[in-house]
Amino acid sequence: MILYDAHHLARCYAVRLLLGYLGLTAEIRPLDVYPGHQHHSDEFLAINPLGTLPVLIDGTHVITDWQEIMAHIALNHAPDWAPTHDSALIGWLGIARDLGASAGLARMIDTFGEAGDAVAARTQANALLDEVERRVWFAENAGQLWLIPGAQPSIADIANFVFIAPCEDGGLSLRDRPALRRWCDRMRFHPGFVAMSGVFLPMAKPAR
Amino acid sequence: MARVMLDPRNWYAIAADHDVPHGHIYRTTLGGHELAVWRGSDDALHVWQNRCPHRGVRFSLGEVVDGELRCQYHAWRFAASGACTFIPAQPDRKVPGSIRATVWPMAQGSGMIWTGIDPVGSPPMLPDGAVIRAIPIAKPAAVVTQALPTDGLALMLQPLDEASAMVRGIALDGDLARADRVLTALRRRLERAA
Repeated sequence: MILYDAHHLARCYAVRLLLGYLGLTAEIRPLDVYPGHQHHSDEFLAINPLGTLPVLIDGTHVITDWQEIMAHIALNHAPDWAPTHDSALIGWLGIARDLGASAGLARMIDTFGEAGDAVAARTQANALLDEVERRVWFAENAGQLWLIPGAQPSIADIANFVFIAPCEDGGLSLRDRPALRRWCDRMRFHPGFVAMSGVFLPMAKPAR
Repeated sequence: MARVMLDPRNWYAIAADHDVPHGHIYRTTLGGHELAVWRGSDDALHVWQNRCPHRGVRFSLGEVVDGELRCQYHAWRFAASGACTFIPAQPDRKVPGSIRATVWPMAQGSGMIWTGIDPVGSPPMLPDGAVIRAIPIAKPAAVVTQALPTDGLALMLQPLDEASAMVRGIALDGDLARADRVLTALRRRLERAA
């Protein structure tokens, strides 16, 4: 597998995080998105005319949608991570897209100078974060640790995590969203976790 | 963060017991004071100022390791007493006793974790029921307190800062979903009002 990647983009991080959890490797081809705009180069647009990242090439498959990439990898290597038997998967992936267009956009505006209306983005993000907080609190109360009932997280958790975990970089707050902070901890401590700018790895066991 | 007056003799509920599982550092504020709450390996709970005395980084970004809290920034470690026990950059030197986290009073009762400035006696006893999901409201505590519903709910306020308050409490009938609908409706009503 070849993954066209940019480290700071949440949608790319989602794919790297899934690969980490599953213990898989891909050949990572990093693009200089900012300030280099390599994703607007003729060479990259020949691969993905939309100019978006990430892109996965797996044999004859060229996949340009980050959620489809996750589903492709999970269905081929660890189907439990793509719980397609549960219609809630569609809803959670949809919420993740909405979070990307709100919390994710606010982060891109505040930290990478992307154009957009940060105030409107935060308003939408706060409504979504409140709702995810409510759902996760009641799920915890019922003994359920992940967004889709199961023994391990799924691509639904990953898709939402990549926008929720770094949301404070976009002027949002997890302070009064304790269930989201606990769920973020569960994601961070799950074996195979990898980090991104603003999302910490669990520290190594200290030698003292 | 602007501070609001707290009654220094009061106990304030700042978390539910279920908010602080092992290994997690819970983060909140009380009257503008940033707090971190964590659970030691002996199950004891600790309420600290959310600030490492070294470089001021929030403890809630750190980790609980072997019954101690470790700061994310330089991995200084602090025991349950608040005393710094280990500085990785100076592994062979004794840590000066003056390096301490600021420890707040802590009490448990009625399924909640309580703290305060200089609280007197024990926290209030709440009626039996289920601990509800706490709801933050972006209005000052003085405004929220006048609007609290009373039917079937025993409620109290945690002033977060000058502009917002957290509503906590007990659902007497144990119906957490109903309590949630009542309080989120209250939140919508208050936050829409000018």
